[in-house]
Amino acid sequence: MFKSESFKNGVKHAIGVPALGLGSSMFAFGVFLHSVGFDVYQSFVSTFFTFALPGQFVMAENILAGGTILNIFLAVLLTNARLYPMTVNLVPIIRHPNYSKWKYFIACHFIAVTAWFNMFAVHKTLKQENKFDYFFGLGGFLWFNSVVCTVLGYYFSSFVTKEILIGMVFLNPMYFLIMTIGNLVEKKLILAVVLAAILSPILYHIVPNWGVLISGVTAGTAGFYFFRNEKHVG
Amino acid sequence: MSADYIYIALLAASLGTYFCRAMGVISAGTLSTESPIFHWVKCVSIGVIVSVISRIVLFPSGTLEQTTSLSRIIATLSLVLIYFISKKNILLSVVSSAIILVLLNFYI
Repeated sequence: MFKSESFKNGVKHAIGVPALGLGSSMFAFGVFLHSVGFDVYQSFVSTFFTFALPGQFVMAENILAGGTILNIFLAVLLTNARLYPMTVNLVPIIRHPNYSKWKYFIACHFIAVTAWFNMFAVHKTLKQENKFDYFFGLGGFLWFNSVVCTVLGYYFSSFVTKEILIGMVFLNPMYFLIMTIGNLVEKKLILAVVLAAILSPILYHIVPNWGVLISGVTAGTAGFYFFRNEKHVG
Repeated sequence: MSADYIYIALLAASLGTYFCRAMGVISAGTLSTESPIFHWVKCVSIGVIVSVISRIVLFPSGTLEQTTSLSRIIATLSLVLIYFISKKNILLSVVSSAIILVLLNFYI
């Protein structure tokens, strides 16, 4: 199924800062699940099958609040809706006629912010026929590492102080932010970022559940529209 | 809360998440990386990601609620400053911002 060299290169890319940034947050998630009474199997299943952290926190909070299954489904769907445009964006990048369509339905499980940013950072340096395997190695390792870190966080929760936990939770959004800033090479993206940073907190007070989505779509559309004639770089 | 309820809820959460990804694969269809829609979707993706970050920094839920807003803002600005001073060293800037957040809340 894989060209092993490209797959290995993807794994190598993931080892280091990407795995540390995401792994630390997954570790903190494991600590959190232990503290609120989940068992280790439930913690494992959550990251194994969901692998999208904000939605996993929403799921846990809704379970603790005794929410209905439909409520949980919709709350997580809304929270993780960012994965939809990210997937629409990533699939054409890694697409190649050598791979049948069902393989994309497996690879898409590994699409999350960390893998997405890192793939975009390097895809122009890769041959088209190698991109799918590279992403499978990169995203697959990040997923595997996340599952392991969630379980480790669960087991080692009693050794983690509040200060360390807070520092670990903060690592991931800061890593996302710096990856965003590092990829700002087009004016339309810069405008989208600035508008989203301003709109999101304002909309949070008006439409708490929809604020992130409305802000993102509005900011992205405005950035694209105002600089629609700009040459595409990324 | 029963174990059955938790596992069904985990399944619902997994389906809700996978639905977003699978719909993305279907929608991507034959979309070309040269098409305007592709570039619009990239702008929207970045917009949504930054909206999430902005909300986490300014209105977090869970563990980060125990920290002050000012400390989170200072730590975030420090991240950007250290990133550019250190010639774009990601590890140094990210770890430093987390340390600054902890210092501001518990030791200063």
